[in-house]
Amino acid sequence: MTTAIQPAGGPDGGHPSSSSLADVIDTILDKGLVIDAYVRVSLVGIEILTVDARVVVASVDTYLRFAEAVNRLDISQQEPKAGLPDLVGEVTEGGARHKTKGALEAAGEKLSDLLGEAKSPARERAPHRSNGRGE
Amino acid sequence: MTSSETRDDAGQATGIYVYGIVPADVEVEPNAQGVGDPPAPVEVIREGDIAALVSPVPTDEPLGKPDCLQAHARLLDGTASVAPVLPLRFGAVMTDEESVAEELLQKNHDEFAEALRALEGHAEYIVKGRYDEDTILREVISESAEAQQLREQMSGMSEDAARNSRMALGEVVVKALDAKRAADTEAVVKALDDIAKQVNVREPTHELDAVNVALLAEVNQQEELQAKVNDLAENWDGRVEVRLLGPLAAYDFVVTRKPEG
Repeated sequence: MTTAIQPAGGPDGGHPSSSSLADVIDTILDKGLVIDAYVRVSLVGIEILTVDARVVVASVDTYLRFAEAVNRLDISQQEPKAGLPDLVGEVTEGGARHKTKGALEAAGEKLSDLLGEAKSPARERAPHRSNGRGE
Repeated sequence: MTSSETRDDAGQATGIYVYGIVPADVEVEPNAQGVGDPPAPVEVIREGDIAALVSPVPTDEPLGKPDCLQAHARLLDGTASVAPVLPLRFGAVMTDEESVAEELLQKNHDEFAEALRALEGHAEYIVKGRYDEDTILREVISESAEAQQLREQMSGMSEDAARNSRMALGEVVVKALDAKRAADTEAVVKALDDIAKQVNVREPTHELDAVNVALLAEVNQQEELQAKVNDLAENWDGRVEVRLLGPLAAYDFVVTRKPEG
């Protein structure tokens, strides 16, 4: 871990020059006295640089990228974390139970369609089926 | 500012690039390089107790190549470790030497001189921290039952079907990172409280930024500062990569007042 004080723009920081350049850009394009408005300039404490700062705005792309990164993590490899394996097990079991139930109902429905039954009973069953799958 | 263009002997349109304001007794090293290609020699324009670091610059070519940005920063940061300096934002160009002396230095002489006195012995330092992505994501997931559920939901679903879950999971992660960033930034500010004369918490410039804080500190307290930052880095080993930049010119602590009205 590097924590040595580095000249931000210098070549001798032990960091690739591209990272140094990024540091420089963050600073000298956003901050410092502005000559166009130099009429009155002084050193007066902290100004919240809301106008100039480039803010990281969370976007759909960010969300999707992080979701992808989370998905990629092999969580099973990490040290056991209380709660996580149990929870995962539960969800899987629960999911399977519902799935089974849903499949049975669907089969029954198909059968009744084949038999040319009226459509209303099938509609009544529909909420059950979506409950089973949606959970 | 006059609008008349100045031309040098070769007929090229030139202006005076201004880097920053320093006390009048500052000398520039003969090999100091300014902006431009080839780099222009750096000169000093003095007026009373203060001076401007400048170099001639062609005004008919765009500025802003990496070398120019580096030159601007290097000159000011190099100065900051030995003398107080008021840095100008990159890209300040005035018509000629007279306008620098009169319109910039004379007009603001007392304010600049006072600001330079206040800065004496101080420089800016920046503490930057970047989360290790895998480590911080594991931390987020382990702390959020919602994220665990969403992650489980996604597995086995087609990419299209999982889109809503992915969006929701990503949002949970981003919000959790925002909260962690705020807490970790506060921890850094607190740890450096007795060294920092002033602090400016910068906005994050990267989604994995943990800390981005500029502080004004005495140059002779640099070792103490470094030790404190080292402690923080050790505490966060593997979780946050911490860097300390400096000494730098006090970019974050010089403020241009808006003209009245």
